Amino acid sequence: MDELAVVTGAGGGLGRALSVVLARQGVRVVGLGRSAGALEETAGLIGERFVAMPCDVADAAAVRAAFVEVDRIGAVTILMNNAAVHPRHDILDETAESFAATVDVNLGGTVACTVAALGRMVATGTGRIVNVGTFADVAPLPASAAYAVSKGAQRIFTRTLVADLHDRFPGIVVNDWMPGMLDTGMGVSDGIEPEVAAEWGAALALWRDASLTGTVWERDREVLSPRAVAERLRDRLTGRRRVARRITT
Amino acid sequence: MRELTDRHWDAVVIGTGMGGGVAGRALAEAGLSVLFVEKGRAGWRREANGTEAATDPVARGVRGLWPDPVTLRMGGREREVFAPLGMGVGGSSVFYAATLERPEPHDLDPSNAVPHPVGGWPVRYAAMAPWFDAAERMFAVRGGADPLSAVACPELGAAVVSDADRAMMAHLAGNGMHPYALHAALRDVAGCASCLGRKCPRPCKMDGRSAGVEPALATGRAAMLDRCDVTRLVMDGNRVAGIEAVRDGARVTLRAARVVLAAGALNSPLLLRRSACEGWADGVANRSGMVGRNLMFHLNETFAVWPKGAERGDGPSKAVGFRDLYAVDGRRMGMVQAMGIDAGRGEIAHYMGQRIAGTWAARLPGARRVVQAGAVLAHGAMGRAKLFVGLLEDMPDAGNRVFEDRGRPGRIVVEYRVADEAQVRRRMFRRAIRSAFAGRRMAFVNRGAEPNLGHPCGTVRMGDDPAVAPLDAGCRAHGIENLWCVDAGVFPTSMGVNPSLTIAANALRVVEGMRHG
Repeated sequence: MDELAVVTGAGGGLGRALSVVLARQGVRVVGLGRSAGALEETAGLIGERFVAMPCDVADAAAVRAAFVEVDRIGAVTILMNNAAVHPRHDILDETAESFAATVDVNLGGTVACTVAALGRMVATGTGRIVNVGTFADVAPLPASAAYAVSKGAQRIFTRTLVADLHDRFPGIVVNDWMPGMLDTGMGVSDGIEPEVAAEWGAALALWRDASLTGTVWERDREVLSPRAVAERLRDRLTGRRRVARRITT
Repeated sequence: MRELTDRHWDAVVIGTGMGGGVAGRALAEAGLSVLFVEKGRAGWRREANGTEAATDPVARGVRGLWPDPVTLRMGGREREVFAPLGMGVGGSSVFYAATLERPEPHDLDPSNAVPHPVGGWPVRYAAMAPWFDAAERMFAVRGGADPLSAVACPELGAAVVSDADRAMMAHLAGNGMHPYALHAALRDVAGCASCLGRKCPRPCKMDGRSAGVEPALATGRAAMLDRCDVTRLVMDGNRVAGIEAVRDGARVTLRAARVVLAAGALNSPLLLRRSACEGWADGVANRSGMVGRNLMFHLNETFAVWPKGAERGDGPSKAVGFRDLYAVDGRRMGMVQAMGIDAGRGEIAHYMGQRIAGTWAARLPGARRVVQAGAVLAHGAMGRAKLFVGLLEDMPDAGNRVFEDRGRPGRIVVEYRVADEAQVRRRMFRRAIRSAFAGRRMAFVNRGAEPNLGHPCGTVRMGDDPAVAPLDAGCRAHGIENLWCVDAGVFPTSMGVNPSLTIAANALRVVEGMRHG
C-alpha cells in the first residue's frame, strides 16, 4: 500500500523528526506548518519524499484548501495531529482572545485536519490517525491554562472519534500518543531527543491493528485503560492478564 | 434534486430493502425509469457496523438503523424493543445473515400431509420456481443440496464448508438428520469477513443494496432520493396520483406511472393506513380491513450447542442447516440452522435475564447490572458454544397487528399474541431439536416465545378474494390500477424458512406481471 502521511507542525521539533522517520520508511509526507522557511528546512533533510505545504492549522479554510492540494499528490492514509502551541500566560495575563487563539491551534487544528482527512479515508474505509497528546490536562502546570484545556479537549476529541467511527469504520484506526517530555523548542532541555520519540511515533502510525483504536500510548508503551469490575473479576477467574503492548522500532 | 422530484417516472419504488432493491433493479433492467425513495441516509459504502449500536435515535439513523424502538404489546406486557430494522440503502437486508433458503412446496401449496394454514398461496410453488431460480442466480447463492428435497436448485453454487461444520454435520447425520450447507449469499471475495449481522463493506455479501439498488443505478435508468420520508399516497379514484414526501424539511410530491411499495412488513401498512382519504376511508388498499393485520414473525427457538473435538474449529458455525423437523407429526415447524455467531455476552445476558424475569430477583435494584456482570463471567464458559436457531412457523391471526402510535407519529406499535397452538408446537419443536442434537450438551437460550422481529410478514397479504386480502395474486392492490407491494407484507403465511429469498423471487415475479399485465 502506498502510504501518504500528513504531519502537522512539520517545520520543527517532533513534527520534523516524525517526517524524517516516516520518509525513511518509504512514506511520502506532506508537512503542514506556518513557516514556509522552516518547512523548507525539513524538506532539505528529506528530499523528494517530503512536500512542504505552508498552512496555519488554526485556519479551517486554509486546512480545507491544503487537503485539496494533498489530493493532487495522492490519497492521505496517515494523519499525525502534531501541531501545537504552548504560550506561557499566567491566567491574570490571559485574555479571552489569547486563550481562544491557543485553542484554535491545539484543538481547532486537530479537528480541521481530522475532518478533512476522514472525508477522504471513508472512501476506502481505512486510515490511521494519531493525535499527539500530553497529560497536561491531568495536572496542569501553572501559566498553561489554554494549553492544558485545549490538549485535554483534544483527548476528548479522540474519544468522540471512537464513538462515531469504531463500529462503522473499524479500518480507520485512531489513538492518542503521548511522546513524553521532549527536548524541543516547546519542551525541556533535558527531555527525550525528538529523533528518539519520532521512531516510536512513526512506528505507531504505521501500525494498522484495529485493536489500537481508542488506546493511549506513552512514549513506547501502551497505557491500559481502567477496567470495569466485572471484567477485572473475569480476568482474575480466568487467569487472563492484560499486558501493555510495546512499540518495536 | 429538482430534476428527480419534477420528473414523471415509469416507477417509483418506496423503500430499498430486499423487495424494493430487487424490484427496482428488474424494472430498470427492463428499460423503465426508476426512482428509489429511501427514508434513511445513503451513508458510506465502506461502513461495516452491525445492529447492536446505540439506543440513541441519531446514532442509529447515521448507522442505517431504524431510529426508534418498536412498542411490543405481548403477553399482557408492553415493552420497547429495538428490532433489527434497517433504514438506509438496502434496508434491513444489509444487516442480515444472507441466508437465502427456499421454502418447501407445501409452504405455498395446499397439502394433505401438512395442511396449509390458509389453503395455499394464490401463487403456487410451480409458478414461483423459476423466480426462485432467478433470485438464486441474482444473489449468487451458494450452498448444499437438501437431501430431503425433491426440488432442484439449478443455480446453486458450491459451498465452502469448514472442517468443524463438516464434523457437526456428521454428528447430526449420526442422529438420523440430513444436514446440508446452508444457502448463503456471500460471494466470498478476497478479504471476505463473513459479514453476517453487519453491513458488508465489499461487493461480497449480496443484499438489497449490492444485488438490487447498485446494479439498478448502474443501468443509468435509476436514481436514488435518500433521506426522503414518504408521508402519504395521494389517490385519484382507483389510481395513486402522487407520493407526498418530506426531504430536508421541504415537502415534495413525486409522480410515477407505477408505485411499488416496499417499506417492509412493519412500515408498508402504516403508510397505507396513513393515506386514508375519501374513497379509501380505512386506508389505501384497505377495503378488506386487513392492512396491518395477520402480522406474523417466526418464533425463534435459539439454542447453544457445545461442540466436541473436531466440531469446535476456529470460528462460529455458519453453514449447518437441516429440514428433518420442518414438519413433525403433520404439524408445521420449520428449519433448524446455525446462526453464524458464537454465543456472545448479549445472548448470554438475554438468557440469564429470561431466567430471572418474573422472579423476585428481577425486582432487585441493579438486577440488570448483575445479569450483565454474570454474563461476562458466563461468557468464558459459554464462549465456545455455537448458536443455532429453529425457526418455528407462525400462523396468521387477524388480531396480531402493527399500527402507528397515535400520540407519536411514525412510531411502530405491534400487538401480538402467541396462540395456544403455537405453544404446543413450540414444545414439540424443542423436544425434536433436543433429540436431533443428542450426544451434545445443549441449552435453549429463550424460555418464553420469542418472535423474531427481523422476520415480520403478512400485513399486506395477497389473496384472490378482495374481501380478505389487500393485494391480488400479482401483488397489485385490489381495486387500484398502479400500486404494487413487494415486501414480506405480501406473504399469506410465514413459511418455515428465512423470508429473504422469497421476497426477492416474488419481487421478480411481480415486476414481470407488472410489465405484461
